[in-house]
Amino acid sequence: MAGTVAAARSDALNQKIKNRHRSSWYQGWKRFKRNRLAVVGLVWVVLFFLAGIIGPWVAPYDYRVGDFLAINQGPSWQHIFGTDNVGHDMFSQILYSVRSALIIALGATLVSFVIGVILGLWAGLRGGLADVIIMRGVDFMMTLPGFLFALILVVLLGRGYWSLILAIGIPGWAGYARLIRSLVLGMRNGEMVEAATALGASQAHIARRYMLPNVVGSMAVSLAFGIPGDLAQIAGLSIFGMGLQPPIPSFGNMLAAAGDNILGFPWLLYFPAGIFAITLLAFLFVADGLQEAFSPKGGN
Amino acid sequence: MAVVKFIAKRLIQIIITLILVMTVSYMLMYYSPGGFMHTTVMASVLAPLQSQNPILYQQVMDQFNSRYGLNLPLWQQIAKYVWHELSFDFGNSMQNPSLSIMSQLKQTLPVSVDLAVGSVVLSVIVGVPLGIVAALKRNTWIDYVVGTVSLAGQAIPAFVLAVIMVLLFGVVFPGILPIAGWGAWKDAILPVICLSAANIGVVARYMRGSLIETLRLDYIRTAKAKGVKYWPMVMNHGVKNSLTAMITVIGPQFAFTVMGTIWVEQIFGIPGLGKVMQTAFTSFDYPLAITSVFLLGSMIMIMNLLVDIIYAFIDPRVKL
Repeated sequence: MAGTVAAARSDALNQKIKNRHRSSWYQGWKRFKRNRLAVVGLVWVVLFFLAGIIGPWVAPYDYRVGDFLAINQGPSWQHIFGTDNVGHDMFSQILYSVRSALIIALGATLVSFVIGVILGLWAGLRGGLADVIIMRGVDFMMTLPGFLFALILVVLLGRGYWSLILAIGIPGWAGYARLIRSLVLGMRNGEMVEAATALGASQAHIARRYMLPNVVGSMAVSLAFGIPGDLAQIAGLSIFGMGLQPPIPSFGNMLAAAGDNILGFPWLLYFPAGIFAITLLAFLFVADGLQEAFSPKGGN
Repeated sequence: MAVVKFIAKRLIQIIITLILVMTVSYMLMYYSPGGFMHTTVMASVLAPLQSQNPILYQQVMDQFNSRYGLNLPLWQQIAKYVWHELSFDFGNSMQNPSLSIMSQLKQTLPVSVDLAVGSVVLSVIVGVPLGIVAALKRNTWIDYVVGTVSLAGQAIPAFVLAVIMVLLFGVVFPGILPIAGWGAWKDAILPVICLSAANIGVVARYMRGSLIETLRLDYIRTAKAKGVKYWPMVMNHGVKNSLTAMITVIGPQFAFTVMGTIWVEQIFGIPGLGKVMQTAFTSFDYPLAITSVFLLGSMIMIMNLLVDIIYAFIDPRVKL
């Protein structure tokens, strides 16, 4: 009898310990859920990803094929978002655009992030001359708009997927490098690590239990802010005539056609501009929610 | 004396950075496939010549290259362009050889600067009160609405907003405000609003955070204890203190606004620096492209320098 009570108690204790292990993530999620806009944003972002993944299979028409008998039509049951000046179905165009936008934005953010992490780690761990040079480089990149570099890189590399990923990704490293460096420095000299070391914790244990959970939140937040920024940059390049080469559909190319379409055929802009604006908002609300939930110090 | 030394040091830094930026831009353009004579327009003009009279074609190309120094070794080309830019001798552009770049800039640059200045002024006028209200009504629905709106302003880039504005005032409510062109003051309203959305968000969020922090400080408690009334306390002790720090936000923001004008000009059909830059880069117009990089870069960096100097003057705690 006494044994079972003790077992139940230790079960409860184990459960409690387990909960505490998961608590930083669990509580982060709980804080995130409380932010209603962030949750709505997350739903839209998930839908956006879904559209990007399954878009080409559910798109009713091929993006390359125009129907010359149905040009510049308003929304109808055949073409729910209407058709453009060569008879492309706008709904299909948008579905393909989602895919191209996601591929480039995620790729570019990853490129910036990887360069930033490598340089930031290097600067933070090595210190000395490497640190000075890398931080000068960060200042240099921060003073000038990355867009300028992106523009020149597109001229150099061309207008394909890979070249756009690199053109937008390469100039974007500075912010990540600075963040990683400051995290490394803060961690290395932080009281928490000192205390853990004093208690005899192993390096691996410190890295896993104290450093990583603290770093992951900030990195996730900076990535979440990075993706909508890169999405906007892709479209910005298109407005300059330097985005994805048409006929590959992209939001930027549809927006760039604004001048020609605005008065006669406004639905060619309602849908792309509206969906693009909502998507950027959704990504930003999610990023903001993540910031509140996982790195409350960084927020205001 | 320290101030002079500080400014001199920063100016040298700015010049070094500018040389680097111009060198990088030049090299990237140099190694890109294509050239001014190979852009669609020029190529279509020159194609008959090339096929009918290859010798004359070669002469034309040689003359063009020697005129812009494109036959020199790369480092000499770069040195030449960098030197000309730094001595403000911009020369003539390739697309408009009879007109000096300087006179072209005299027409286009003020337009972009007007738009950027208008946007910064508007964002302060709107953003500061929004931030104050949000800070004083912290964690109420007013605060959340202001926070969401400022976030939205920051999320949507100026060019997307511009397209939405054109739709709104061109299709839904036509005839209220002009959606294209440049000349009357009314033409500036929509572009300035589009450019300001992000700035308003930044200013409001910063003002809110800064004021909340300021109102927690000891001297505010002292002021309260002394019996200073609520609004004088907020305005004179809180807001005034937060406003000085605001300059550090507005400076860099101004730079990004200048960058933003490039797109907004494109969409509203405004003849500013943006249009010039776009054609310069897409047509390999070296003199014009390098000049626009030079101008944009120096404007941004000098703005940041000015901010640091002004900040040191306003806030005695800051040392240069």
